[in-house]
Amino acid sequence: MSTGEPLIVLEAVNKWFGPLHVLHDVSLSVGKGEVVVVIGPSGSGKSTLCRTINRLEPIDSGTITFDGRPLPAEGKALARLRSEVGMVFQSFNLFAHKTILENVTLGPVKVRKEKPAAARERALALLDRVGIANQAEKYPAQLSGGQQQRAAIARALAMQPKALLFDEPTSALDPEMVGEVLDVMTSLAREGMTMVVVTHEMGFARHAANRVIFMADGQLVEDAPPAEFFANPRSERARDFLSKILTH
Amino acid sequence: MNVLIDRFDVFAGGFWLTFQICLLAAIGALILGAVVAVLRISPVPPLRAVGTAYVTVFRNMPLTVVMFFAAFGLPALGSNADFLRIPLLDQVFSRLGADLPYFRFALIALVLYTAAFVCEALRSGVNAVPPGQAEAARSLGLTFGQNLRHVVLPQSWKASVVPLGSVIIAMIKNSALVGFFGVAGDLSQSADQLTSAEGYAFIPVAIGISIGYLIMTVPLGALLDRLEKRQAVAR
Amino acid sequence: MRIKRVAALAVAAALSVGLAACGGDSDEGTGAGSKSFAAGSTMEKLNKAQKIKIGTKFDQPGFGLKGLSGKPEGFDVEIAKIIVKELGIPEDKIEWVETPSKVREDSIVNGTVDLVAATYTINDKRKERIAFAGPYYEAGQNIMVRKDDSSITGPDSFKDGTKKVCSVVGSTPLEEIKKHVKDVATQVVPFDTYDKCRDALKQGQVDAVTTDNVILLGYIAKDEASFKMAGDNFTKEPYGIGVKKEDAAFRTFINDTLEKAFADGSWKKAWDNTAGKFGATLGNPPTVNRY
Ligand SMILES: Nc1ncnc2c1ncn2[C@@H]1O[C@H](COP(=O)(O)OP(=O)(O)O)[C@@H](O)[C@H]1O
Ligand SMILES: [Mg+2]
Repeated sequence: MSTGEPLIVLEAVNKWFGPLHVLHDVSLSVGKGEVVVVIGPSGSGKSTLCRTINRLEPIDSGTITFDGRPLPAEGKALARLRSEVGMVFQSFNLFAHKTILENVTLGPVKVRKEKPAAARERALALLDRVGIANQAEKYPAQLSGGQQQRAAIARALAMQPKALLFDEPTSALDPEMVGEVLDVMTSLAREGMTMVVVTHEMGFARHAANRVIFMADGQLVEDAPPAEFFANPRSERARDFLSKILTH
Repeated sequence: MNVLIDRFDVFAGGFWLTFQICLLAAIGALILGAVVAVLRISPVPPLRAVGTAYVTVFRNMPLTVVMFFAAFGLPALGSNADFLRIPLLDQVFSRLGADLPYFRFALIALVLYTAAFVCEALRSGVNAVPPGQAEAARSLGLTFGQNLRHVVLPQSWKASVVPLGSVIIAMIKNSALVGFFGVAGDLSQSADQLTSAEGYAFIPVAIGISIGYLIMTVPLGALLDRLEKRQAVAR
Repeated sequence: MRIKRVAALAVAAALSVGLAACGGDSDEGTGAGSKSFAAGSTMEKLNKAQKIKIGTKFDQPGFGLKGLSGKPEGFDVEIAKIIVKELGIPEDKIEWVETPSKVREDSIVNGTVDLVAATYTINDKRKERIAFAGPYYEAGQNIMVRKDDSSITGPDSFKDGTKKVCSVVGSTPLEEIKKHVKDVATQVVPFDTYDKCRDALKQGQVDAVTTDNVILLGYIAKDEASFKMAGDNFTKEPYGIGVKKEDAAFRTFINDTLEKAFADGSWKKAWDNTAGKFGATLGNPPTVNRY
């Protein structure tokens, strides 16, 4: 599915939080249409990696390019870039004071300046696609976690992004709701969306990912196709991590 | 208690002047306070520094000192605060356009001082909005201004309403100082006029003055409570 | 008028002789029982207690100003001391209480102080709540202007609505000048202290400062290059000693004491050592008003 043409490219990226070296010379290239799953122990820098890609976190050194252009600094150009990279958060972050439909149309209308009627029509189609069209007029607090996360995905998709970033999208969900969200993500992957997914769902990694990246202590330790990674992890840390995760 | 009836004109005049000052100062302080709050939460460090410096200075200086600077510093700098002689507005609030600048000076002092507290009340509301909300808005590509307008401020109002109300009510009480800085005839000055110059007993006069202030502050408090409840339901 | 005053002085002199006689060896005598007063009178009570609380101003140059010594000094203070001495109480047993204009009546009515000597203008409104002995001085409201300004000659100069005049919040002169201006809102500037009025006058923000002449004289004495008086006093401000309304005996006692001080020169001496230093003339003693 991947065309091989790189969309997201990180080169020698370093990031500190005060004295804490959170990203350590990270280099990574994600091709158009590629699905990359990022795994690793808690605190290894996965979220930070995700957030640097749309510059929710600025970096200290190295370069990040998106679709051939380096990330712009704070301002209008950055806002435009962010609109091209969708992000789905662990805690959904739906706008609490707006209905589900308003959540989905806000970006298209305010950022893309689409006509409200057109944005609404497309939003309803997207909500239908993620299976919550009948919840359009409700407020986020009235929905289950799984429904909220699907709404959040619809909100990201409404911007017609070139790539989607997922930061542990199912970790805050009750187990019975994980499936409905993964189904939506899997179908997106099938349709050729470029995705970077931080997750502990090994099933999703096996079936939907083109590559699995293993991070530890801010470093990119392994980068391999899922079959190869799960069958034969090369590093001690990855083996250790997998043994812990797969036993339960 | 006869004084309340015999000198009703003095109380009424004082009430009307205090009401004018408070209305104008509240509008000014809300606008300036909002601007300073935006500076304080803006993504641009120098702007943030300006906002922080403003709040530090005006929140920590006694109002009498600010009043003093306005009443004696501005004229020393050659300003009569003529920019506040706003056409039309000065028809309604005649002292705004008067030759005598002390009404404008006192207004400036009240606005500068109160804006620092308005800023902090607004900011405490903004801080009460979960950071994920602003982050989600940013990740959609909303600019800082859009983010504030469509996502953060609509949600921060609820948490700001009560502290904002306290700030404005405190401002109404603080306005009692204007009479000591060249503005003739506000509500609390009426008390001085009646008790020390005209010799009326203090207690009845104080009761009259208190009623005047309560007429302004109590409805404001009630209104804010209503607003807060309505927003709670809208959730 | 003249005859009445002479008669009053004669009575006072006679009385003081009488008092001195009762006082024992000398009229300098202090201490409990050093003088005898009618049983149950305020004078007896104070004399027995050997202490007295006196309200005065702490911020009025020439009349009651608390300086480095920690004790107030001025004409009011000296007059009060004359009364205290007559009560047979030593000077150092006086407790000085600051009584700004606002609290004077209440301090007397509530008994916070035994008497008030604080540039206290006698008027009918005040007499509804307290009583006055005296007057012991007749001040009058006047107007101070910048030295180079000859456009203001008296209170009528404010009639045309252009000149701005400053005074202190809650003072009688402020209310008085309101009667002479065309528009209070644009001509009358109140501050909390006369110092601020003076500064505003110097800066040119106002054209005049008005209050009792003695206060203005104090400012002119300190800065003759900048200020001058504009015209004569246009009110009579008789300063009295405030006491409880119902205490007629104490009032009479103070009136007697004042008349004695007028006669024996201690009144004039008190003036010369205090407010008189600003160059104000004292004139003849006023007539005590025994109402
Ligand atoms: N805003 C921040 N300020 C300071 N330290 C942070 C911040 N965000 C994350 N960290 C620290 O950086 C490290 C990596 O965090 P994160 O990227 O969230 O890891 P992961 O997502 O892999 O659990 C952790 O030690 C975390 O405590
Ligand atoms: Mg994380």
